[in-house]
Amino acid sequence: MAEASVTASTLGSRRFTETRLGGSGGQGVILMGVILAVAAARDHRYVVQTQSYGPEARGGYSRADVIIANEQIDYPQLQGADLLVTLSDQAAKHYLGGLRRTGVFLYDSDEVSPPAVLAETYAVPLTRLAVEITGRSQSANIVTLGAIVALTELVTRPSLERAVAEMVPKASLDLNLRAMEAGLELKPEEWRVA
Amino acid sequence: MELWYTHLLREKLDQDSLLVQGNRASALGALDAGVRFFAGYPITPSSEIMETMARELPKVGGVFLQMEDEIASICACIGGSLTGEISMTATSGPGFSLMQEAIGYAIMAEAPLVIVNVMRVGPSTGRPTAPSQGDVMQARWGTHGDHPSIVLAASNVADMYRLTMAAVRFAQRFRTPVTLLADEVVGHMRESFSPEKAGRYRLSSGDFDFTENYAHPDLVREVHPPHQLGAFRHPHVTGLVHDETGFPNNDPQKSAEFLRELHDKVAHHRDELCLYDVKNEGRGRVCIVAYGSCARSARAAMDLAQHEGLPVEVLHLYTLFPLPVEILQRVARRVEFILIPELNLGQYAREVRKMAEQWTTVVSMGKIDGTLITPRELVDRVSDLVGKYENV
Repeated sequence: MAEASVTASTLGSRRFTETRLGGSGGQGVILMGVILAVAAARDHRYVVQTQSYGPEARGGYSRADVIIANEQIDYPQLQGADLLVTLSDQAAKHYLGGLRRTGVFLYDSDEVSPPAVLAETYAVPLTRLAVEITGRSQSANIVTLGAIVALTELVTRPSLERAVAEMVPKASLDLNLRAMEAGLELKPEEWRVA
Repeated sequence: MELWYTHLLREKLDQDSLLVQGNRASALGALDAGVRFFAGYPITPSSEIMETMARELPKVGGVFLQMEDEIASICACIGGSLTGEISMTATSGPGFSLMQEAIGYAIMAEAPLVIVNVMRVGPSTGRPTAPSQGDVMQARWGTHGDHPSIVLAASNVADMYRLTMAAVRFAQRFRTPVTLLADEVVGHMRESFSPEKAGRYRLSSGDFDFTENYAHPDLVREVHPPHQLGAFRHPHVTGLVHDETGFPNNDPQKSAEFLRELHDKVAHHRDELCLYDVKNEGRGRVCIVAYGSCARSARAAMDLAQHEGLPVEVLHLYTLFPLPVEILQRVARRVEFILIPELNLGQYAREVRKMAEQWTTVVSMGKIDGTLITPRELVDRVSDLVGKYENV
């Protein structure tokens, strides 16, 4: 039997990728978006990062969007997601519609009830991993960033590392770097949902 | 030697990458252009401009004031301006409404200042976190009386930096308030751009140099001498029509001359003030005339349209007022349709129609749901227009 095609690993080499990160308030989704954007800028690529503000962000779900491209980005908002990452069930339900069929879907398997999607899907207990490694569920966003890079190479590892180091509070740097490493060590084939 | 864009450079990630939020970029542009006085009142989606100024201005010996409201903010800016400092404030629609009377005063007193309005859906408190371009005509005619206006519109983060700088230069040179319009998306987004290219625009309207070497040609004949406090002269500043001494004058002829001079100092320098960029020049049957976020939709739509074989050009306006009459008419003469996407119900389209309807059909495309116009929506509209005659 032919092996299922893997699109995740090619995301980083595409000329234009649209990423949506979704979760509930307090999960650090926006920071995750900013770190991803900074890392992509460090890779000398064009980046636009937008996010949900206000009532929407304070409600059940919030999002951060990152467009990464090899040339100037004209339209600044997502027209569809090549990569969708969700840390909460509500966010998954709300944002799944925008995921492209050719896209990649990564979700927290403890939080999100398994959805039926055509896109290549990865289910990882991101929050549980964060708690195991750092003792704090708040690090789930940094674990997730590591996981994103492990799956897709959307940004380079050194750039991610520097971006994390720049953006997180100094006091929790070690902890966050451990969280990132845990994400980076994930093996894509082990988490792929058939 | 310090580079003129030092504040921007401090944000650098490394040699040639930079990722800045739009509102922050506007504040950095102001700092690099020499703004040393800021008074404001926070309002979404413009607050980050104020936050940045609060943090950065004291470090360069500037003055930052948080006022009790927007009326006080702009009045403080006028005061700052009268001492010879370049003053700036930032707000959104509701605050901009409050400022209108004092903007008229600043125009009358010829006090140079910069107002950044990061637009949100209105009227009233509207939708604080949704983008809009509903304040375009308010920026032109919000204050009463016949008056000149200089209004710029930013479409991306680099624009927020460069056009704030341009606004400062224009305010200094023409000694009048300059409004920079942005919208929630531009203000809140983070975007990468090259710091080395940040100070210079290469546009169809000509290269524009924002650096400190920017020449200030003498406008003595068109702009009245400044009434500067503390300049060892007895200054008199008033919102009444006045003569060159600064004291009120009711003489009909002098009054008319004075008001006309105020108007002409802007109107006669359209070629310098009007910044625009034409893409795909002369190759479109439809020209999309756009500004702000919509210009980004338009540029993306142009690529999409080319892909689908539709002849589209784009006129991206960075200056809305004074009206860029010449370029609008030049475009109008060569295309069948001018399509104007806006996040309002056609405010600027009406202005363009006045200029262009004798040569072409001006089609307004307004959207007021607080989301951007997508490239797809634009291309569909274009194919509606040109398809009319082609049965394709």
